[in-house]
Amino acid sequence: MSALSKNIQRTIIIAFIIGTLAIGAVLNLHLRHLRQSEAFYRWILAFAVNERLFQEDRAVDADFDLFYQCAEVVDTLPEMTGLIPPKDESNTAPISALSVIASDYTHDKELWNFARSKEAAPLREEFLSLVRERKLRFAQDIQYAEAQAGGVNLFNFFFGFRKVAANFVWLEVDRYWHQGNTYRMITLMRTCVALDPQFIDAYLIGAWHLAYNATARMPDTPWPLREWHAKYEKCLGEKERFYYVAVDFLKDGIRKNSRNSKLYFDLGFSIYKQKLKDYPNAVKYLAEAVHFPHEQYVPRQLFLCLELNGQYEESLVGWKDYAARYPDNPVVQEVAPRFIARNEGFILEKLASNLRKKAREAGDQEEAERLNNEASDLWEQARAVWSSINDPFGEGRKMRMEALDMREEGRHLEAVAYLDKARWEASDLFDDFSNLIIEIKQEAGIPLTISEKKAVIRESEAGICAGMPEDEIEKRSQAAQELDAAN
Amino acid sequence: MNRIFSFFSGPASIAMYTYREGIRKKVLIGFLVLSLLVIFGSSFISSFLDPTTETDINLKLIKDICVTAIAIFGALITIYISASVVPGEVENKVIYTILSKPVRRIQYLMGKFLGAQLIIIVNLLLMGMLFFMALYLRQGVMPTLLLWSLLLTYFQFVIISAFTFALSCAASSPLVPTVGGLFLYITGNLTEYLKDVEHRAGQTGQMLDKIIGDIASGLYAILPNLQNFSLSTQIVTGQPNDPPADVLIPNLILYGMVYGLAGFACAYLVFWRKEV
Repeated sequence: MSALSKNIQRTIIIAFIIGTLAIGAVLNLHLRHLRQSEAFYRWILAFAVNERLFQEDRAVDADFDLFYQCAEVVDTLPEMTGLIPPKDESNTAPISALSVIASDYTHDKELWNFARSKEAAPLREEFLSLVRERKLRFAQDIQYAEAQAGGVNLFNFFFGFRKVAANFVWLEVDRYWHQGNTYRMITLMRTCVALDPQFIDAYLIGAWHLAYNATARMPDTPWPLREWHAKYEKCLGEKERFYYVAVDFLKDGIRKNSRNSKLYFDLGFSIYKQKLKDYPNAVKYLAEAVHFPHEQYVPRQLFLCLELNGQYEESLVGWKDYAARYPDNPVVQEVAPRFIARNEGFILEKLASNLRKKAREAGDQEEAERLNNEASDLWEQARAVWSSINDPFGEGRKMRMEALDMREEGRHLEAVAYLDKARWEASDLFDDFSNLIIEIKQEAGIPLTISEKKAVIRESEAGICAGMPEDEIEKRSQAAQELDAAN
Repeated sequence: MNRIFSFFSGPASIAMYTYREGIRKKVLIGFLVLSLLVIFGSSFISSFLDPTTETDINLKLIKDICVTAIAIFGALITIYISASVVPGEVENKVIYTILSKPVRRIQYLMGKFLGAQLIIIVNLLLMGMLFFMALYLRQGVMPTLLLWSLLLTYFQFVIISAFTFALSCAASSPLVPTVGGLFLYITGNLTEYLKDVEHRAGQTGQMLDKIIGDIASGLYAILPNLQNFSLSTQIVTGQPNDPPADVLIPNLILYGMVYGLAGFACAYLVFWRKEV
């Protein structure tokens, strides 16, 4: 081979290497763009879920400003505005169109296309610059964002191994749990999810430990020992604080994994329903859980919470649809008819009560009589429904109706005595019957017992605790005085 | 057609021979056995957890440990095999016999490189199969995302392998390219650091500072960034149909192929004029 041909050959090889490296550099740039877009996309999801669901955690900060700039750009893009569903008049919370789009996981692709689009380029740049300055609250643990932020550390090398480290930290959490070191456990749990923000089970089990196990042997904190927590606007003791720490822990998980139904379910069911008896919030999060791929039992809990929250119509529609969807499931076919009947019973009772109320307010005697007759019909239909259920709950509801009839006839003492006996026979309705006793006693001017008075004060949230702001104390004291005067 | 077939038949034979030779290496078997032990052992790590709680943590432990074991041991196997295929033949002088036959250097190199790839793929498949079985037995459904993860891991290895191979063509013993390969693996994972240098450069306003920043920026653009492949860890525990992952996977495969080709071209450039 001549020297010239060798030189040509060498040049060709070098040119080839330079060419491939140039293509590699172009690909490098493209991948960098994709990874930056991914971090941006995950931040949009995190902020959108925070805006839509955690209104109490809204603050005007860098996240807020940037997100609303994004929302403005989205409003100008026809392919994105086309995804916005018609405005729900019942929903008065001011939520940006971008959050509405992000609420539906079937729009993820469009959202991702927006995140990497040319239109979003200046916003993406701003996002990265804010991430580098660590000014974004909801991008702190987004893995790619953290990688993009750089930093003089070996983080990048151990990027892939952080998940393994998180697992070993979790083994320590488990050990502390068995040792009863709850406080150490909480710190490590936080470390664990910081190492691996996609560690769903750490969020789920961590919240379970906090709300159930850590508080298992704690008594309910007596009111005078509770302290005011401005963040939750509630008087909380040590035990109650654990519930809210669990709520915060799960909310953190939801921000980082907004497409996981388990986190919404545990927040709605395990904490809000089971522990805090906060049914509106339970409905809120369980309704989110059913938006994403979920287990078969999730809708059942949603319908139960709807019922507990007094949304009988929605619950009834839900149960009917659920029974139709799983015609071959024996559990569904056994449970659904019972709950369908229950909700029908509740709806009939509610309608009858409304008609009676209207009758009382009606000026015309004839109209009042007609309404009362209609109400009586519905009342009897409700009684028939409860009889058809043939279970302790149905029997309890019949007793309740009986007591309400007595109250209607002015037989207050008899109604109270009947309910007092009934609450021991239908334990499911114990609290309901106790509240009704108080209501009837207050209506008839029968003196309340000490425990009933305390319950009234508790229920009316008239309790005052340490650290409560002055205006709050004044408001509650006034409410307590009014109650005292009434009794 | 015949010419193409005859051109590739030589490398194919060399690749098969390299594979048969390489697969018998004790160090390689040692790495493989160790990795298989770690993957197998990961199934027992769940015994440290509370047996009364029914969670998916056991599964996650297995996934994370196995993916990491495959990444570490796979990289070691890749570096070792890519560093030793050519210097090994120079040491035992087999190369002289081969190159004295009507085999062109490019054919020889292609055969060696493909043989090394075959060994890497077989090892990766063995580790992956055990991992796949461990997951399938636990969760009862096919862990299909794992296949994507393995594919991405392989393309990461293609880059490491190609550049280690290029180093090995310049060396006369496997030691230097092995160390070089490890260095490539570590620095490849730290490429993001260059961006940090770029961001911090220029703060003093000095010329040298700015030049360093420009160099860092240039290197960051050209050098392969192995951190891009961390997606392989992410997708194993992630949600299916994640839009960014769906877009990143084909891009990363192309990325691995392009840098693999660049590494192989470097190897040819070195080996082309090497005195053997």
